[in-house]
Amino acid sequence: MTARRTLVDLVVALLAIGGIAVILELWTRAFSVPSYLLPAPSAVAARMATDAGLLAREGGITLSEAAAGFVLGTGVAFALATVMAWSRPFERTLFPLAILVKLTPIVAVAPLFTLWFGFGTAPKVAIAALITFFPMLVNSFVGLRSADLQEVAFLETLGASGREIFRHLRVPSALPYLFSGARISLNLALIGAVIAEWTGADRGLGRIIFVANANLDLTILFGAVLVLAAIGIAANAIVGAAERRLLHWHPIAVAT
Amino acid sequence: MTAAISLHGVSAGYKSPVLRDIDLEVGSEVVAVVGRSGSGKTTLLRLIAGLIEPTSGTVDLLGVAPKVARRRKRVGFVAQDARLHPWRTVRENVTLPLEVNRSARTNGHVSPDEWVARMGLTDAIDAYPHQLSGGMRQRVALARSLVIDPEVLLMDEPLASLDELTREDLRDELLRLWEARPRSVVYVTHDIEEAVLLADRVVAIGGRRPARMTGQVRIPFGRPRSRALRREALFHDLVEEVRSLLE
Repeated sequence: MTARRTLVDLVVALLAIGGIAVILELWTRAFSVPSYLLPAPSAVAARMATDAGLLAREGGITLSEAAAGFVLGTGVAFALATVMAWSRPFERTLFPLAILVKLTPIVAVAPLFTLWFGFGTAPKVAIAALITFFPMLVNSFVGLRSADLQEVAFLETLGASGREIFRHLRVPSALPYLFSGARISLNLALIGAVIAEWTGADRGLGRIIFVANANLDLTILFGAVLVLAAIGIAANAIVGAAERRLLHWHPIAVAT
Repeated sequence: MTAAISLHGVSAGYKSPVLRDIDLEVGSEVVAVVGRSGSGKTTLLRLIAGLIEPTSGTVDLLGVAPKVARRRKRVGFVAQDARLHPWRTVRENVTLPLEVNRSARTNGHVSPDEWVARMGLTDAIDAYPHQLSGGMRQRVALARSLVIDPEVLLMDEPLASLDELTREDLRDELLRLWEARPRSVVYVTHDIEEAVLLADRVVAIGGRRPARMTGQVRIPFGRPRSRALRREALFHDLVEEVRSLLE
């Protein structure tokens, strides 16, 4: 059931992209648009086939950077949200700092991270973590605080400990929020990784896009963007499937 | 024998005082607390459960401070419109109290499945709360409060959000439960007839804020009782007597 939903989602996404590709193909042919302005989708497809190995390799690198950043960023965010939901003083101290992190432009810190951590994987993971941090923090915090107060009272009268209330009530109550945080953060992690590669890297899709841009080599540029999109759609589908499985009790899941 | 619940000169309120000089002792009996909306009935229950602290006076629950009594897991709590845990099935909701605070010994010898059966929910035992009607959800809320077989049962308008017919059924259910095993019950309601039907004693709180106890009425009917009591003249006299305490 869930697997089938995921499959349907993927097919619909592919059909939409395919439709746009057909329109663009007709457009570029009808008006003979030069390939340095907008390459025909067929040319992009041909280029992707020739450079499939390169795109897969560099896509894998970007994906692993984004995934590591996602895990790191959302993990730290959830841990901090737990502390903040636990104690008002911590909330008051940490929230302004979180906003500071949020408001720091990624393009400003990305070169700095390269300077600090070198051209390797570390600064990319750091950027991806940084960009995923805030949405996950806010969603986790609101989620953990969203527990029904009557249910909290019920567990308290049973002598349940704070930890038990956290595990049995606060975390499950937060799940819908965690998923919406994850959906936002997932895409941001990919963008973060690409931006980080853009500002200083020798590998990854961001690097391909950067070099292609400089050379007006638009077929590989679009190819890299499409690979990125494919990774994003697949990741969203996986999160969506997990959401449907874990939130079957939630009104959103029940309604769809 | 000391009362299971005793309040002496209790006042409470978070910013402005809500309750003043409450003296109440509850033994092995059903005490209904009636009052207008916002009169502090819920505050009274929260005081007894130790969920809030009195600003003055003392609250004892099973001979100790409520916070201590809670850890012994002898207190059941049924709220109005219980939302239960929506990610747990009926059975899992009823089992929940046995999964927390495991160090406390419960005297429950009736299994969760048996409680579900007694509440007439066996067919729905694997259903999730969103699949149940309001009445069924309140039955689950009752079952999960009773699964630890508590000495003290605190109920905060448990039937208020239900339709009249469902309410009638659940009142019968409550009467049966109290006949099967006596407990110390504090039953908060704004429904005077319900209070007279269910309780051994009705306590009225009201007056200008902070509210105080305006009086109490003993209900002389024995048990078992049934809804047929409503047809008796004495029933209506008692209802009028309670009503006069609230005006």
